[in-house]
Amino acid sequence: MNPFDIKAALLAKHAQHVVLIHFPIALFIAGVVFDFLAQKTRKRGLAGAAYYNLLGAAIFAVPAVATGILAWQFQLEGQKLKGILLMHLVLGSTSTILVWVAWGLHVGAERQVPERLPIFRLGLEAVAVAILGLTAHLGGFLSGVNGPS
Amino acid sequence: MRRSVFLASLLVVTGMGLGGIVREPKSFVASAQEKAASTAEVKIDNFVFGPAAITVPTGTTVTWINRDDIPHTVVSTEKIFKSKVLDTDEKFSYTFTKAGEYPYFCSIHPKMTGKVVVQ
Repeated sequence: MNPFDIKAALLAKHAQHVVLIHFPIALFIAGVVFDFLAQKTRKRGLAGAAYYNLLGAAIFAVPAVATGILAWQFQLEGQKLKGILLMHLVLGSTSTILVWVAWGLHVGAERQVPERLPIFRLGLEAVAVAILGLTAHLGGFLSGVNGPS
Repeated sequence: MRRSVFLASLLVVTGMGLGGIVREPKSFVASAQEKAASTAEVKIDNFVFGPAAITVPTGTTVTWINRDDIPHTVVSTEKIFKSKVLDTDEKFSYTFTKAGEYPYFCSIHPKMTGKVVVQ
């Protein structure tokens, strides 16, 4: 396939989810790292970096989830999932909700004067990273990254 | 006279019966051979259909069995057959009644492809 053939890339079987999913994962992990550093150093620049990375993760999670659900509906005709596929769906949905909740906490704090972020968000973000990592591990397993090329 | 006719008839009937008994196992053997020849198996393992291409006579039932740790599907490129998601050790069968080439792939891993040639 020609990598610059947009039509072929967009219509490729099931390719979009495995491509798009990297964006929210990377942005969220980066956002959480910046948030932890901002908490420790009290630097506003790091807090801003955390905010915008989490915003990016929350935005990119929408197409990532949508393409995953579309792949399930079109490639597997929406059949009842079980095993690794079901686990991937459940963990993926849970981590998406946690990404949105984490971003929501930052938006809520932004609107307060003075800005006050709840400390429990760090625990929530850590749990979200762990679940996201597990979802990604299962996704990689399903996509066959360990299989023969 | 009557007795010899009766004996002759009895011999004929017995002979026919014996012939039937002797012949019958042959027909069982033949049908069993036909049945054995009308099935084929494709194993799915390590993200590969094995054999990737299989040639079978018309009327053959091909069974795909997933020996991989990962779920797979068997989907005809021309939308002739489509399995559900096959977990480890699950099977899918399809009987090919028409001659031709039937390419297929795994819809979860589209790079996994195979072909059934029906002659």
